Amino acid sequence: MNPIILGPLVVAGSAALLALVISLVDSVVNNYGEVTIDINHGKKLFKVNGGSALLGTLASQGLFVPSACGGRGSCGACKARVLSDVGPVLPTETPYLTPQELADNVRLSCQVKLKKDIAIELPEELFSVKKFKATVETIRDLTYDIKEMVFRLDDPESIAFESGQYVQIVVPAYGDIKEEVQRAYSMSSRPGDSGRVELLVRLVPGGIATTYVHKFLKEGDSMELVGPFGEFRVHDTPTTMVCVAGGSGMAPFKSMFYDMRERGTFPEKEIWYFFGARTTRDMFYLDELRQLEKEWPRFHFVPALSEPKPEENWTGDTGLITDVLDRYIKDRVGKDKGLEGYLCGSPGMINACIAVMTNNGIDQSNIYFDKFA
Amino acid sequence: MTPLINPVTLFFASIFTSNILLSNFLGMCSFISISKDWKSSFGLGMAVTVVMTITAAISWVVLFYVITPLGLEYLSFIVFIVVIAAVVQILEMVIDRASPALYLSLGIFLPLITVNCAILGAILFLQIRSYNFLQSVAFGAGSGLGWWLAIMLLAAIRERTEKSPVPAGLKGPGITMITIGFMAMAFIGFSGMIAVQ
Amino acid sequence: MKNTQAERDAYDQMKPGIITAQGFLGADMRSLADIVEADMESWRRGSTDPDTAADFLERLRDLGQKGLGEPTGVDGRWVVTVGDARGVLPCPFHDGTFHKNSIEVVDEKNGSRVIYSDLSIHLLRAHRFCQGKDSPFRLDPKTIAAMMK
Repeated sequence: MNPIILGPLVVAGSAALLALVISLVDSVVNNYGEVTIDINHGKKLFKVNGGSALLGTLASQGLFVPSACGGRGSCGACKARVLSDVGPVLPTETPYLTPQELADNVRLSCQVKLKKDIAIELPEELFSVKKFKATVETIRDLTYDIKEMVFRLDDPESIAFESGQYVQIVVPAYGDIKEEVQRAYSMSSRPGDSGRVELLVRLVPGGIATTYVHKFLKEGDSMELVGPFGEFRVHDTPTTMVCVAGGSGMAPFKSMFYDMRERGTFPEKEIWYFFGARTTRDMFYLDELRQLEKEWPRFHFVPALSEPKPEENWTGDTGLITDVLDRYIKDRVGKDKGLEGYLCGSPGMINACIAVMTNNGIDQSNIYFDKFA
Repeated sequence: MTPLINPVTLFFASIFTSNILLSNFLGMCSFISISKDWKSSFGLGMAVTVVMTITAAISWVVLFYVITPLGLEYLSFIVFIVVIAAVVQILEMVIDRASPALYLSLGIFLPLITVNCAILGAILFLQIRSYNFLQSVAFGAGSGLGWWLAIMLLAAIRERTEKSPVPAGLKGPGITMITIGFMAMAFIGFSGMIAVQ
Repeated sequence: MKNTQAERDAYDQMKPGIITAQGFLGADMRSLADIVEADMESWRRGSTDPDTAADFLERLRDLGQKGLGEPTGVDGRWVVTVGDARGVLPCPFHDGTFHKNSIEVVDEKNGSRVIYSDLSIHLLRAHRFCQGKDSPFRLDPKTIAAMMK
């Protein structure tokens, strides 16, 4: 045969034959068959095809383990306790696990590959976490760096959550950023308004999600949300609530207050809300909250500016929010029912407020916080 | 002409007296990089041995039944590379399944076995020397084990040199190259003991 | 010189969009080792070193936190604003995760400005890495040494 034909034929033929062998081996070696995932000692059982990582496989079955990096092994949020044997801990997992966690067989579910039947333990709250397809209904500026976003939920159409919980928004690839990430934001909408989710997003320099929200997202765009997560909520006691937040830390409280007012829940609780900022340009919802205070006798709103400009004619309290808090607890807040502390913000602010509260006799076990951590 | 050497003799000869790495200087790249850690060296050495043995066998079959009868010697390089690439791909899948930790520690160097010149070198040697099937397999296995032996030796020595007071300019690649030179000189002592062709 | 797998992986993690929106390299085309080497030289010329600088930056952060998110004067010379966000940032070298914050320091004496986070301090202290030439969050040795004088 003509060498011009024979040559390429032989090369292509051998390459094709070998490719066939490779795919045969692939289907044997990488075929892990069906595996069973046993969660919380039989509470939930999934029969799935093995071979992928635990995180993604659970997500495909509708169980969403929290993850900020989308399974790339760089956030350490997807921890799960593994009860069966899945092999030794991988070097990609060890930087994110404490010695205690390693001893308890806690692993990163994005790094655990499903090769055979597996039994794991997950927090019960994750069973009610869902993924939502949503459309951006409104985006509005509250201050120079905080935007209020409202999502309308399309599929599923409603979300069941308790005030104080948060969702993860899925930020798609944009600009120079090639892979999607997830970031957490507390919900400021009421649970009763279950077809909507409202978030307060503050621009963080260099932040992947906040840059997307502030510069790229428009009304009418779609986004995915995962939630609800979180254990920060109102405690069912008659004790008076002393709440402190600043900036976007207001979000969970907005949800809590309006929800309590709408449903009349926890009828014996008095609520004091301290909102600190530097000048009026950092303040928002002032009118709404003052209005709420007028209409709802058990709600007391104390906004405080630390450095008001004279031209702003600020008539409210001045000073650092921790000082204002201290003054009020000593003189103004009624202590006959006891006091509980609720805090949302940076670790620095939370630690400072805890100090003020404990100095005024509030026991640390009665102080609840949603640390930005 | 097919040499008359006994496959078993050839096997031992390719490990010691004509060590593909220390006598023929083939396969240096991953040799120098991976020998930092003896566990990865062990794994890589074993992987190279497996690839060499299997590709030697397959290449001999292709050479004898396809290339030589059809007179396509000019295609031998391409066909051999294709065979090596396929075998390495399969090996990667098997290692990933059997030991993900080893797979991760080898990293990029596992697929790099494909361009490890020791493998193509071994195949070309068996072509030039006209080995028969058994000799080819013995030669492939022996060369692989010789490569494994060399990398294990270097890994052991490097573990010592890491902790020794090496002058700053020679640390790392410098002292490694000098060490390899000494190892090669030591293996010259074996040369000529057994004729491999 | 060939980079090790670990270095190449860290380099990839530093590109835009993996850990932060702009990444840690800016427009710098040099390898990690070259950047660290060049910056170590700058530290020496500024008569200081990464550890002293890291201590300085941490002290400013701790004192600036008193402002609870608003600009705070420190020692009458620097104005520090510490902002916090929910979440953590992982180190590109896979040796830990760090609270997400952004600390802006303005030196009133010479007008220079630097922004950094807990992760930046860790990169400086543990990996001697100050970030690429045009990264908006670069801890330039010359600038910081001048701030510390």
